[in-house]
Formats: sequence, C-alpha cells, structure tokens
Amino acid sequence: MTTDLTDYVASRVAILDLVRQMLRDTMKLQIEPEAIDPDAPLFGTGLGMDSVDAVELVIQLDGAFDLELAGSPEAFLTIRTVNTIVDAIMEASGES
Amino acid sequence: MSLEDEYRAVRYGAALSRMEHVGLLRLRGDDAIEAVDAICSGDLWVRDGRMLQTLILDEQAQPIADVYVCPDDDTCILMVEGITPEEFSACLARHADPDLEFELENLRPEHDLLSLHGPYAWEVLSKWLTPDIIGLPYLSFYRFDRGVCFRAGKTGEFGYDLVMRSEDAEVARRELLELISSFGGAEVSLETLDLCALENGFFSIRHGSPEGLTPLELQLQWRISTRKPFPGALAIEERRAEGMTRRLTHFAARDGVKTGDALHGPDAPVGEVMTVAFSPGAGGLVGTALLDISVAHPGIDEFFVRQGESTTPIRTVSSPLLVNRSLLVDPHRHSYSTRGDLSPLPLWQGSLP
Amino acid sequence: MSYTPHITGWGVASALGVGRERLRSALLRGETGIAPVQRFDTSLFRAKVGAMVPGYESDDRDPTALCLEFGSLALRDALEHARLDLDCLRSRRVALTLGTSLFGDQNTESLARDLAKAFSIEGPAITISTACTSSTQAIGFAADLIREGFADLVLAGGIDALTPKLFAGFDALGVLSEGPCTPFGLQIGTTLGEGAGFVVIERGGMRDAVTYSVLRGYGLSGDAFHETSPDPRGRGVAAAIRGALDDAGALEAEIGYFNAHGTGTMANDTAEWCAVQSVFGPELGGALPLSSSKGHLGHAQSAAGVLEMITTLECMGAGLAPTTAGFEGARPGGPPSPVGTKKPQPLAYELALSSNSAFGGNNCALVFGNAGAASVDPEEVRPVFVSAAAALSSGVNTMDELASIYESESPPAERKLRIDLAAELPRVDLRGIDRASELLTAVTSRALADAGMQLRGKARERTGLIAGTLRASADSLERFHESVERRGLAKPDTTAFAQVLPSAAQSACAKALNIRGPQSTITIGEGSGLMAAALSARMLARRRDSDRIVAAAVDVRADDIEGGALADAACALVLCTAPTAVEVAGIGLAGPEHLDEAIAEAQRRWGSEEPPDLVIESSKPFAGMPATSSSFALAHALGLLRRGHARTVLVSSKGTTASVAIILTSTEITHDN
Repeated sequence: MTTDLTDYVASRVAILDLVRQMLRDTMKLQIEPEAIDPDAPLFGTGLGMDSVDAVELVIQLDGAFDLELAGSPEAFLTIRTVNTIVDAIMEASGES
Repeated sequence: MSLEDEYRAVRYGAALSRMEHVGLLRLRGDDAIEAVDAICSGDLWVRDGRMLQTLILDEQAQPIADVYVCPDDDTCILMVEGITPEEFSACLARHADPDLEFELENLRPEHDLLSLHGPYAWEVLSKWLTPDIIGLPYLSFYRFDRGVCFRAGKTGEFGYDLVMRSEDAEVARRELLELISSFGGAEVSLETLDLCALENGFFSIRHGSPEGLTPLELQLQWRISTRKPFPGALAIEERRAEGMTRRLTHFAARDGVKTGDALHGPDAPVGEVMTVAFSPGAGGLVGTALLDISVAHPGIDEFFVRQGESTTPIRTVSSPLLVNRSLLVDPHRHSYSTRGDLSPLPLWQGSLP
Repeated sequence: MSYTPHITGWGVASALGVGRERLRSALLRGETGIAPVQRFDTSLFRAKVGAMVPGYESDDRDPTALCLEFGSLALRDALEHARLDLDCLRSRRVALTLGTSLFGDQNTESLARDLAKAFSIEGPAITISTACTSSTQAIGFAADLIREGFADLVLAGGIDALTPKLFAGFDALGVLSEGPCTPFGLQIGTTLGEGAGFVVIERGGMRDAVTYSVLRGYGLSGDAFHETSPDPRGRGVAAAIRGALDDAGALEAEIGYFNAHGTGTMANDTAEWCAVQSVFGPELGGALPLSSSKGHLGHAQSAAGVLEMITTLECMGAGLAPTTAGFEGARPGGPPSPVGTKKPQPLAYELALSSNSAFGGNNCALVFGNAGAASVDPEEVRPVFVSAAAALSSGVNTMDELASIYESESPPAERKLRIDLAAELPRVDLRGIDRASELLTAVTSRALADAGMQLRGKARERTGLIAGTLRASADSLERFHESVERRGLAKPDTTAFAQVLPSAAQSACAKALNIRGPQSTITIGEGSGLMAAALSARMLARRRDSDRIVAAAVDVRADDIEGGALADAACALVLCTAPTAVEVAGIGLAGPEHLDEAIAEAQRRWGSEEPPDLVIESSKPFAGMPATSSSFALAHALGLLRRGHARTVLVSSKGTTASVAIILTSTEITHDN
C-alpha cells in the first residue's frame, strides 16, 4: 500500500473503532463493537435505532468529534451508517 | 419500457411489480414463532404487526435464504427469497424440535404478492387503499379487507408489499397500474429493482456469492443472534475466531468492470468484483467487491481492474450511494403534484473516478 | 342520594388567568394565553413561547412550590364555585385525586399530601402520574370512588409547572413549535403550558348544590407502541374513546362535541383524527364538532385533562363549542374543519367527550353531559379473584422465598438484586430499558406466566396494568440531570428524558408484554402497591373492558431522597374475573389517619360477621420499599390462602396519603352477600 493509503486507512480505522465504541457504550446497543458492520443501516432496519436515539446520537457525535450536526437539515443523511458518520468526521477534519 | 424509464419510475414516482420470486409461507400454531426462531439466524424480537428481516444460513454459515418474519398473534407470515417452500420445510424438519406445534402452509398459488415502490408509493396507496397508510411505520403490516399490506422494500424508497388472493391481486394490479400512470409510474422488472437494491446497499440472495462468504464478510452481522443456537452458528464462531480476511465494499466506476474481475491495488491484488450494474443515477457503474479486510473501506481511489494493457480505476464508496427522494418526501406535507418543490439535493452526491 | 357522579363546581389557575371567571371571559373573547417565555432564557431553544399562569410568568422558584400555589388557587376557586368550605371538607368522606408528574427531588405524592393537609381533606388522596393523561385519569378514578361509595365527594384535578428542564427535553425531541401551536392547523409542533384545575365531583343529591354536569364515564388504554410517539393509526386512542362511551352507556351519535388532545404535533393530531374516524365512522366523524383547547392554554401536561374538561364545561354551560385558538387553516391528514373560529361557536349539545394521550402511550377519555341526561344504572358487580403473583427483591426471587422472609420475620439479606431479563424474555427488545422498567417487566411477565396467561389476540386489549410507584427510575433521573449539567440545557439526553416519568416503567412493561388494556401509574407513597390492587379490583368488578389487570409495584433505590426507597423491589399480582381459589372479598379506602375506617369498610363490604383469620400490616419486614412492601404483603396473603394456612386474610397499609385494606378469602368457604 502507498503511504497515503496506509495513513488514510489507519485514520479511518481509528475513527471507525471510536464510533462503534460510542454506539455500544453510550447508545447502549447490545452488540460488540466489532460486530457493528460499517455499512449496516443504523435506523429503521439494521441496528434498529429510532428517532429519539437519533437526537441523542447527533449530540454525542457533535460533542466527541467537534461536528455541527445538531439542527442541520442534512444530519439525517450523515448518520445513515457508521461509514457515513466516519466520512463526515474525516471530511470535517480535512482528512479525506 | 427501458431500464432507464423503469428506474425513473422507482426513483422519482411510483412503480409496481409482481414479486413472483418471493415465497409466501404461513405458519400457524402455538409454536409457530419458536419454529421459525430455530432456523433463522437473527433474534426474533417479536411484536405483533412488525416485520423482522433475517437470514437462513447453511452449516457453513453461507446465506441460503433472505426472510421477512411477520408475526401476527399465533400466525406468522414469511416472505422468503432464495429457497423453495419444500426446502424451507426440510430445513424446519432438520433443525426445529419435532415436538413443536405448528403447521406450515404455502400461500401460493392461491395468493400473489404485488409491490409498490417509489417516493410517492404511499400516495398511490393512500388513494387505492386508505389515507391512513401514511401512518403505517416502516417494517410493519396490517390486514385490510382483501389482504395484508406490508411496509418494507429493498430499494431505499417507500415500499409496500400487498399479499392478496390471486383473483383480487389481478384486479388490484390493473387498478394500481391505472393509478400509477399519473405518478410517472410503470410496472417494473426485477432487474430494475435489483439495481435499486444494489445502489442502496441491500443484500440480494439471488446474486449468488462466491463460496465461503458468511454474514461477517457480507456486512450482515446485524441479522445474527449472539445468544441462541441456529444453523451456521458454529461456523460463524469459528470464522470470528480465525478473524475475517475480506469484507464486502461498494464501489463506483466509469465502465469496463464486470463480475468476477480481479481488483488490484498499487502493490498487490486486493480482491474481486462481485456484482456490477450501470446506474442511471450515478451515470456510471456501481457494484460490490470483496476486498481484503485491510483495505475494505470507502473513499479509496487506488484500486483498478486490468484490461489487457490498460487499467480501469474504481472508487470505493459508502452505501447507500444515493440521497433517495423518499428521504426528502414527507407524506404529511408533500405530494407528487408538488414534487418540484422538493429540496434540490442531487440523487447522487458522489463522483466517478 | 345516588351514586352518580355530579360535577358541582370547578376552579382553575391557567394560562388564561387565575379563577374560572377570568378563564371564561378569555375563552369567550377567543384569547390565547401563549406568549414569549419570561421565566427562563429560551435563546438556546428552537421554541420561544409557552403558556404560563399570569402573574407567575417570571416566577422561577422551585417547581414544587409553584405547583402547590397553583393547586391551592385552583382548589379555592373550585370550592367557592361549589359553595363548599373547609368545615364541609373536614368530613372523612372527601377524597382527592390529583394528576401530577413532578420529576425532581421529591416523591410524587408529596404534592397531594400537602394539599390534603392544607385543605383538611381527610379521605384518601391518590396521585396519578401518567404525564399528559394524569388529570384525565384522576377525574375518571374520581368517578369510580363516587360510584363505588368510597367517597361522597372528590376533588379531582391536576397540576403542572413549566420548568426549563421540561422545556429543554421537549425542545430537544423536536416536538415544540417555534411560535404558538395551531392544533390541526398549519404550524407543526406543540406549545408547553402549565397550571392547575380541579373539578368537584360528588354524589348526586347529597347536598343542596347545583349540578352543572354529570360525569358519565371514562375509558383507559395503552398503545404499547413507543416511548414518545403514539400509535400512528390511533388504535389506543380509539380504544380509550370506545371504553368511555361504553362506560357511559352512550352511543357515538349522542356525542355532540369532542375536545381533542390536539397538541399540534404531526404524530398526535393525525393519530387522533384516525381514531375519531375509526370510532365515529366517516359520516358522524366528519360532522362531529371538534376542537383543541391547547391554542388557548398550551399543553398544560398533567393539568391538560382537567383544564380542557373545564374549558368544555364553561362553554357547554353557555351553549357554545370551544374553539381552537390560532387556527388558520386545516393541515392535510387531520380533520378538515375543526371548530377554529375566533370565538366559541354557538352549539347546543347534551354530551361531550374529552380525550388525552401521553408519552408512553397512555390514553384516557371522559364522557360528561348536561344535568338531566339519564344516569346510568349501576351495573352488576362481578366477583374478582387473584390468580398469581411474582415478587422480586434482594433475597426474594420466588413466592416461597417471600413466604420464608415473612415467617422468619427478619429483613431480607442485603444482596444486589440481579436479573437477566433478556434470558427470561428472549423475544422482547429490551434495549435501553431502565431499572424500574426492568423490574416491573420481570415481575409482570412472571406473574402472567404463573397465571398461565400468554397474551395473544384479544387478550392483549383485555389485559390491564396498574403500577404503584413513587417516582421515575433513579437511573433515568440521574442520567437526565447529569446530561443537563454536563452538556447544558440545549443538549439533554433525550432517551433519558423520555423515561423521567413515573409512568415510564408501566409504559415500557406494557410495550414489552403487549398489554393494551386499561393502565395507569399511581402513588399514595407508602402503600402504593396495595392501592394499585384496590383500584384494579374495582375496575374489574365494575367495568367491561378488561378480563384481568396486573396490579404491580416497583421501587428503585433512591436513598438520597427523603422517603426514597432503600432497595430495589418489585411485585405483581394478577387480578381477574375468571374464578380461582382466592377471591377479593372486600376493599376499604380511607385517609392516611383513618386506617381503622378502611379496615371497617373492607370488613363491611365483605359482609361477614367474623373477623378475618389473619391480619397482615404491610410494612414489616420489607421496610424501605414504600411502593412494594404492601404488594408483598398481598402476595404473601395469596400464598397463605393457596396453601390452606388461612381461609381469610386482611392486608392493610397506612399509606402516606391514603389507607388501604383488602380482604382476601379462599373461595372454598361460602359467605353470604
């Protein structure tokens, strides 16, 4: 792998792990972090979170990753899966 | 109708399809749910009127069926893709406790399944069935006079499945076709629905996967129970202990990529293409690839397919790939007639490599 | 003197003013009490308005003190209207049913206790804490107290105050509208309010009072759907409305006006309209005059039910249908033409129906009408039996363990109470369940299993749940308050907020086990479990909308609160109409200082000359479990009777705000009735 690719993957994996940990610990999903598929839907089907969870998740993400999702009309697009959350975090920190 | 037209119907209006490839089964009896629980991979968190999506795996943990379980008191309706009713029955015989009390019934051919998909599918149904349909939550169902209406769908748009007696289904199909013509709609083929499913990251059992793929690689762990025994459970445990070496990842490309193509990275092969199709929404190819776990992440441009001397790049992407119009439509406020007022967010926010 | 509940007066402290005269004149002028919030800073919130009680707009003292003041004002107003004075009230046959859901540092029954003391109410004071249906249910239970002869006069109502934390929680959930709410109208969202209201309900003909209206009946149900969203197809609301009509012996066509819960949120308004159409049919439903009072009063939460009923009573008396203040056009998916004129519309009607719905899915509807409407004959009373029980606390996991604690007379060993609910209920999604919900669900599910009941089909609508508990679960309260401290009012933990109601456990249990029948959460402080059993028994005896009711209690350790539980505990008993070996032979209710009266009442209703074989006074040996200890006593009595160790047992509790006595008998003995 090129160095760039290696770094990119390393950053992604680090954030991926943090987000999965947050889903398990703060959102109380009863599933091991490694078992949270990065592309699994978080709401509706998939991990089955609901609209009340969405509000809390957005607050948690904003706090932990310095995002500004709360109140943004496009927040719901960002939090569709763990990977889309990681995309947003990496974009916000200029790493993508 | 061309694939493009059918696609437009699903993505922007309302589309109808006959789902002849989906098995319709009904289990009745005190132990109906227990029987299903014995062969399905996921925890059956049963609530009346709700639907659960789960899998049936073989002993090597490879998916053989994609199942919606719909409990309704002591009846359970199942929508099954991938195996026949006879194979389902054999599975029950093999894995469920023989003392369980239940009866299995194949609802076909007396019944048919019609599906509606699209950002305004709810509006079609609110005219054909009842305005209350707007209140039906995702993954739930209810009985009406002529059958059962399920809200599900694998396209990323509003989706409704109607199970009715065949005579009623035929009449319904004609009535719905007439209604959807004013919604820019059409009857669409399975190929179009499969394309939409691919774009939205829905697993398709019918696009058979290479040997050795379990829910771990397929990103379907959310359909796997960690607390009960089921066919394939041991194989999953073993795979977990060994560690996953590959993972399904979505990608986009301009052209020149086919199923089975090997994928290469800067230094070494990284995987292979599993499914690929032209997406009118993206204006290029979209597909799934099985990638080495160390690089199975979206946002990577370094991989390519070799074609003779030249290479075709692919870009890995997160799924779902699209900003479905259904996400922007609020049935309480919007309607097909005011579709021009919808938010101008483009359907596809990515770009091709 | 009859047992028909007559409404002889009412009083308010509302956003439209203190006192019913101010309320009436404001209603007639079509005024709104919604205004920019002054009590606290709203710059962090999306919503900016609220419906505060005039004169208190900037009053930011402790909400409990504010509630006490609102309640006192409303009570005084009501007594004046009904021409009652404190001497009159000093009679022991006066009761208080209060809807309130304080979610703070005090036990919920403290407000009822303080009001009862201030107003010399010597009879039982029962607090109902089911969020937005609290006061509606309080009025319904008051009707029962009168009909059953447990009280001759009941002051029934509700109180709530608008606090920053409440505002923050609702705002974070996205259910508040930025400006004043327009129920069924074009703005989406609700506006919070506050206030207090009381109606005076008494036996017809008891004294020289003016009967303004007759309380014909009420209905209760649960959605068993979600913590904060109602069943979108309104099935629970429809069930409550049907229950009320049935209890009132009224036909749909007899209802001349419907006062909707109508909060203004999409979820509530569409579900409610679905329910109306489902119950009344498209023709009657389309023609039924309906409106929501929340445009005038905001969403007064625990006081919503009583204030909205009083709004209807005021207008009904003037030959008017209340209007929906602020209405400027119908929202699609809702009623096309609610009463939405600037001022109330002239309308003559004999019967009105008022409905409310709450977080967690509780629904309650009332039917009331002009004096002169035929009173309903007292229906046949059915015998009520106890079929099963389950008990849980440190050292108690089975009924046998419960029995041995009583036999040894020593308190249970101090061991952390651990249960694996996921293993007991593998088919239920228990994600996010808090401690109180977990305990209550465990005992309720075990008791139902012990009774051989699997809730299927119709049984789900015909099974009810009444839970006695003093406050919301300590872990949810802590999580919520901590999130506000750490992240500020703009970012409260919304999943915790949905659970900071005393009724959250009852709602979660009902959802987990599919219990859709009549349900409620009540408290009398110490003794709540026994009161839940008494209310359950009376409902089964009189009503036709359920076959069994689980009477339960739960305590979660909160030893930092005065009077808080010292340990986790829960207990559930299944009461039913199908005969079993143990019958509920007599019930007595009285004020907290009059346990002897409650016992005498139970004995009298039982009708036996002999005293009971055994008497269990409930607090020992389970001290420090205020809600649950009395349920344990009742469960123990059940065990003794089943094992033949006694033929008749009296269980009593000198509760904090009421005394309760229940006599259980073995059905093998014959007794004269």
